[in-house]
Amino acid sequence: MSSTTTESFPPREPAASPAGPGARNAGQSLPGPTFLRVLNSEVIKFRSLLSTLILLASTAVVMVGFGALSAWGTGQFADAANRDPQAAARMAAQGGDLAVSVPTSGIAFAQLILGSLGVLLMSSEFTTGMARSTFAAVPRRLPAFAAKLVVVMVTSFVVTAASTWVAGLVAVPVLDNYGLKLDLGSSQSVKLLLVNSVYVAAVAAIGMALGTLIRNSAGGIMSLVGIFFVAPIAFQLIPGDFFTEARKYLPGNTVEPLTAAQHVPDTLEAWQAGLVLGAWVVIPVLLAGILLKRRDV
Amino acid sequence: MIEVNGLTKVYGDKTAVAGVSFTVRAGQVTGFLGPNGAGKSTTMRMIMGLDRPTSGSAMVNGLPYVQHKAPLREVGALLDAKAVHTSRSAYNHLLAMAATHSIPKSRVHEVIEMTGLEAVARKKAGGFSLGMGQRLGIAAALLGDPQTLILDEPVNGLDPEGVVWVRNLVRYLAGQGRTVFLSSHLMSEMAQTADHLVVIGRGRVIADAPIQDIITGKGQSRVRLRTDQPDRLHQLLAERGATIASPERELLEVTGLDPRNIAALALENQVMVYELTPLVASLEEAYMELTKDDVEYHSLPAAEVSHS
Repeated sequence: MSSTTTESFPPREPAASPAGPGARNAGQSLPGPTFLRVLNSEVIKFRSLLSTLILLASTAVVMVGFGALSAWGTGQFADAANRDPQAAARMAAQGGDLAVSVPTSGIAFAQLILGSLGVLLMSSEFTTGMARSTFAAVPRRLPAFAAKLVVVMVTSFVVTAASTWVAGLVAVPVLDNYGLKLDLGSSQSVKLLLVNSVYVAAVAAIGMALGTLIRNSAGGIMSLVGIFFVAPIAFQLIPGDFFTEARKYLPGNTVEPLTAAQHVPDTLEAWQAGLVLGAWVVIPVLLAGILLKRRDV
Repeated sequence: MIEVNGLTKVYGDKTAVAGVSFTVRAGQVTGFLGPNGAGKSTTMRMIMGLDRPTSGSAMVNGLPYVQHKAPLREVGALLDAKAVHTSRSAYNHLLAMAATHSIPKSRVHEVIEMTGLEAVARKKAGGFSLGMGQRLGIAAALLGDPQTLILDEPVNGLDPEGVVWVRNLVRYLAGQGRTVFLSSHLMSEMAQTADHLVVIGRGRVIADAPIQDIITGKGQSRVRLRTDQPDRLHQLLAERGATIASPERELLEVTGLDPRNIAALALENQVMVYELTPLVASLEEAYMELTKDDVEYHSLPAAEVSHS
């Protein structure tokens, strides 16, 4: 029965797949999934999703928007401080230089958006079934995981750094109106820009690890919110020295010690904060990698 | 060639695949037939290294899938028509898959053309009908021009034209000497597509044989006859060891005697027979026969729902 229809196929089989089985053994040397190829694949996947691009654009808008708003608010505050001794005292307590942190004032939202992006990039692989295609193409799995991690961290760093820079450019003339100076080239400005960008890249990596471990978008994003938004507040509300101490080790509280001009009391030393943030990235990422390798897709 | 050896997968207290062994040879279409929940997809995922076997092994062209240097060029698989990000276009999906193996863009266009997806290639895969999804899955499987193809329920959701297309495609690919392994729960589809069948039920291999053997061997041939003396002939046939069913008056279905012997018996005893028809068991009957004890989800026989 089937033999009668065989000859009719295929009307459009291109001549370009001549390789019958004979050509196969030569196939051993044909290109396979090296890290660079997998990275290229992940870049294609990353840029071909509209939702990803929307999240990146949102980050930029929020960062620049908050930079502008914050510049205006800071100006108002400084204006008031000139007339109101109480406000002046508060300002002095902050070290006097409010303007320098204006460009990064939207960072809390950038970390939420890009952290969620990290979660989504991996969890959506599992929720859509794409993971079966991804890990059939890269059956060793870890190269695909690593490539995705590189893509999400580099993108998060670049988008945060660029939008911080633009936020700074927008803030300078606004602050100037109030007689405040913001030097985007000052070492403190550069430090804030770099540390915050590294920090957001770290949050995105933690998000991706959570997405890999939990494999569910809502669950992953809620865990992220738990670590970065709920825990700091909860730890502050719960009485007891343990929570006061533990609070310092939350990833969200590592930025201040890393960027402060001088050490702020009741925070970690800069080098400790760096190690803590590193551990917050390395441990979940390692765990996610090990489990990704072991679990069924 | 795919060699599966003692493959077992246990989920908690449920054994999905229980020590399955079989070989899928090059140059023919091997059907993997079984009712829903029989363990077909799990077996295929284990062959593809996506699920870790509890025990046993699966080799593709002599190596576990995971160890191949260029896996997509070795094996193409359609495991699930929905193994695609719903928000990505078909073209970008294929492009990303191709990038992992440096498969050129021209090949992406080729498989899109081969599978008839030109018109929808730039649309989001999430909006595809099941049939379009199957075509995209087949396009992805063909990307690396692999020697071995593993297709899980490829005709599921296809329209009749698509079913014929898949049938011709797999026969064509097997004709080129490739190994083609496709699963289905539709026995009629297998009858028209496969050369060899591996039948699975409740995680166990029930039959592993050329399709002809399964049709003729397991489903025994029967003979339908009509006579005006059914009682007398019934008795005579029973004496010769035949098994007889009588679905209606004057109609007998005889198993265990061939038509020539039945005719001789009737002639000897002067019983008039006015119909004598050999019945070749359809694959469907053979399949039901094979799997009747191994179906995970039983439904009421139609006879109990309607008339007999």
